[in-house]
Amino acid sequence: MSSLHTTDALLVVEDLRVSFAAGGREIRAVDGVSYQVDAGRTLAIIGESGSGKTVGCRAIMGLLPGTAAISGSARLRGTEMIGLSDSELRRHRGQDMAMIFQDPARSLNPTMRVGAQITEAITTHRKVSKSEARAQAIELLRLVRIPAAERRFHEYPHQLSGGMRQRIMIAMALACRPKLLIADEATTALDVTTQAQIMELLLELQAELGMGLILISHDLGLAASYADEVVVMYAGRIVEQAPAKRLFGAGGTVKMRYTRALLDAIPHLERPAHTDLPVVGGRPPDPTALPVGCSFAPRCPAVEDDCTAKEPALAEHAAGHRWACYHPCENGVSA
Amino acid sequence: MLATPAPPPLPSLVDARRLRSQRIGRALRLWVPAGILIGLLGICFVLPLVVTLPSSTNGNIIYNNEAPFSPGHLLGTNVQGVDIFSQLVYGGQLTFEISLSVTLIGVVIGGTLGVAAAYFGGWADAVISRVLDILLAFPALVLALVIAEGLGPSELHLIWALAVFAIPAQGRVARGATLTVRGLSYMTAARLSGTRPWRIITRHVLPNILPGIVTFSLLGIGIVVIIEGAIDFLGYGIQLPQASWGSMITQGQNIESVQPEYVLIPSIALVITVVALNMLGDALRERWGVQ
Amino acid sequence: MALVQQIQLQREAGARDRARRLTGSPALRVAGRRLLSAIPVLIGVTFLTFSVMSLLPNDSAQAILGLNASPSAVAALNHTLGLDQPFWQRYWHWLVNVLHGNFGTTLEGGSVNHELAIHVPTTLELLLYALVVSVALSVVVAALAARRPNGIADRIILTVSMLGLSTAPYAFAFLLIIVFSVKLTWFPVLSGAVAGPGSFFKNLTLPAAAIGFGLFAIYTRLLRADMVDQMQREDYIVTAKAKGVPPWRVLLRHALRNSLFTLITVVGLNLGGLVGAAAIIETIFQVQGIGNDLITGISNHDVPLIEGITLVFALVTVFGNLLADLAYAVLDPRIRYGSSNS
Repeated sequence: MSSLHTTDALLVVEDLRVSFAAGGREIRAVDGVSYQVDAGRTLAIIGESGSGKTVGCRAIMGLLPGTAAISGSARLRGTEMIGLSDSELRRHRGQDMAMIFQDPARSLNPTMRVGAQITEAITTHRKVSKSEARAQAIELLRLVRIPAAERRFHEYPHQLSGGMRQRIMIAMALACRPKLLIADEATTALDVTTQAQIMELLLELQAELGMGLILISHDLGLAASYADEVVVMYAGRIVEQAPAKRLFGAGGTVKMRYTRALLDAIPHLERPAHTDLPVVGGRPPDPTALPVGCSFAPRCPAVEDDCTAKEPALAEHAAGHRWACYHPCENGVSA
Repeated sequence: MLATPAPPPLPSLVDARRLRSQRIGRALRLWVPAGILIGLLGICFVLPLVVTLPSSTNGNIIYNNEAPFSPGHLLGTNVQGVDIFSQLVYGGQLTFEISLSVTLIGVVIGGTLGVAAAYFGGWADAVISRVLDILLAFPALVLALVIAEGLGPSELHLIWALAVFAIPAQGRVARGATLTVRGLSYMTAARLSGTRPWRIITRHVLPNILPGIVTFSLLGIGIVVIIEGAIDFLGYGIQLPQASWGSMITQGQNIESVQPEYVLIPSIALVITVVALNMLGDALRERWGVQ
Repeated sequence: MALVQQIQLQREAGARDRARRLTGSPALRVAGRRLLSAIPVLIGVTFLTFSVMSLLPNDSAQAILGLNASPSAVAALNHTLGLDQPFWQRYWHWLVNVLHGNFGTTLEGGSVNHELAIHVPTTLELLLYALVVSVALSVVVAALAARRPNGIADRIILTVSMLGLSTAPYAFAFLLIIVFSVKLTWFPVLSGAVAGPGSFFKNLTLPAAAIGFGLFAIYTRLLRADMVDQMQREDYIVTAKAKGVPPWRVLLRHALRNSLFTLITVVGLNLGGLVGAAAIIETIFQVQGIGNDLITGISNHDVPLIEGITLVFALVTVFGNLLADLAYAVLDPRIRYGSSNS
């Protein structure tokens, strides 16, 4: 039976809540989220934009603006991260937990050589000489499979291709061998081939370094291919949570309507030609005005009266598989 | 089996007090300078109609050098017995008239040129931009002084001289703003759907560049006020005995070591006006989200 | 594609590559293009200068011959000097002279070139003093302000800079005089000659401060706004924070670096406006620079002098803009090193 606290747990998040004040109103970006990542395992957090998937992880890293109100618990190897001051969190950032971002073109300082950006990651946490840092940086460049590492060291970000820039980001993130790596839409801005290469690289490095990996994405296919455990978020809450094997592939039992809709929306080769794509109708809910009851109800094809009356709780209805729905799919297909 | 019950409604994590003070701060930053400006305009233009002020040009030498708050003279009188408050009021009229006219001319002519240059591009843009660059490169002060010296100082000459400076400045801003708007997708859509240029400009371009132009104009009025003051200060603008804030400073400099308030009073009036203009410009920029 | 066309395309491409290699780095190309586009502006400026000056009656002949000269003698001298020629001819002669470096003779008989040569350095010293100090101070102050937006330091700095922007240099000059010259007697009221570092600071500090305060205010606001914008909006700032880089380093090493570009552009663009402020300040403090010359020249109707000085001012403005563009091209690695070559 799954318990929320196993001894291998690298990151344990409990009831994480994040709110913002914008334009005089309160936005509940993350509304009570709990999950766990183990060393050497991959967790995928899937959701649309605005679902709170990025905000939650940034809250753990302490990268949100000061106007964010964060509560709950996020323990990295037993150390509580929520509530730490910025100077305390800084010691963990880059060293114990690291993050790579979506658009490597914008995420790298355009006026600084890439080598310098990597050595900065090293010297922030370790007291090493300049030449030692340089040697380590070049080693990192080789680790992420960048050819001609010595030459690349002195180049500027705009002189590199998108895939290479993302490798630089990974090199920076791994500079101090963190235990947890968060990849926030890391492959979204890349073309499909490069995407696969980067993902393969990430998994290899994960195995080599024994890291826990969190993949944040809107792409359910990515989760299916690379994740061990999947968390689906909607409107700031977790709506389905299960090991990947239970959700995807043959005999997959997706329960939540939203997840089902996401899966159905992925185009397959086997689809008959010239049929409509079953897209999820409607738009994500306004975070300042969440509907009563299930937040997905306005867009759900199988909505019933009790859905709009009271919000369904996230409950473990089957082994290791949690969902929040009164009328889940049966046998993995929409009823 | 672990069940996480549905969480109770969240007590607000965000301080309601802070939200309210944010809103109040924003409103204050907009209405305080606006109020100051309206007040100043009122004093300069409305007050003389309602209250009879002592002459701003002629003074009784018997009553010279009165201190502020003496009876009948709110801010005292100067060396020649002229009432300082009246000088401030009538000088203010001139200052506002000149700076507002100059800016208006700049917006109308410069704005038209800038929008045309950016919208039609090609040769029109090249020519207009060069002309604007040439006008901008020319020192505005010199032009105003030469015109005053050569054609004789008058309010009208001053306005046109300064307009030569305001036109290219506004033109550049309008051109830049139009270029930004022009690149937006819905603009291309409008063009492709065959809408006539005139309609596109009036219905799409103008509403979008207006916030930028207004905020820049507020700054511009402030700059013109200062330059106009400089011209008066040098003796080339509004001629004595007509009062202007700049010439009051000039007169004051001769005796400022003895009675500094002659310099301070018009200077403070200048500073308050320009600060209010700048603050208003900033607040509007904040509200309208202009760069 | 036909073989012939392929060969043609290859040849064209080869020619393009050769041309590209010949013209060297992208920065040089940008510089070249900017210079070329500045030429029509310069020509236009000379034309504008000359036509504006023709508003003033040119009394050179009268001044040379003296007040008692007969009208016919004046007319004759006018003819010799070419002052009665039509506009375009005069313009052409003047332009040719200027291009040869000869700015003509002043009303008093001296050479305009000589006047410029003596007084331009003084004005340059004054302006450089004001610029350097205001830029240096503004970087420091803006960093302090941007460190904690809407904090106490930020609010104070914003207020002070708001005042700086809104105060007329000539009014501020008086304040400076009252406080520092009259009450504290640290500096002389009227500026004497500058001959060495001691007199440099003694004589030019107050005038430079009068000009510099406004500049400092503008630059501080600009830098602060840009840095705050970078810190709040740019992704690479988040990356730097995610690495665990301390906040001061993020501000200075990452945000400031990129904000300096905007500052450089503004400094270059501002150069033209500086000139007008310099003229007034020089008059107040009696600094012997070309600004002062200009004002006295205008009241004397000394047309050749005014033309020369105005042209110099306008040239400075144009070159200021050019320099700003060039600095951008040279300093921004995206332009300097061209596009991706991986």
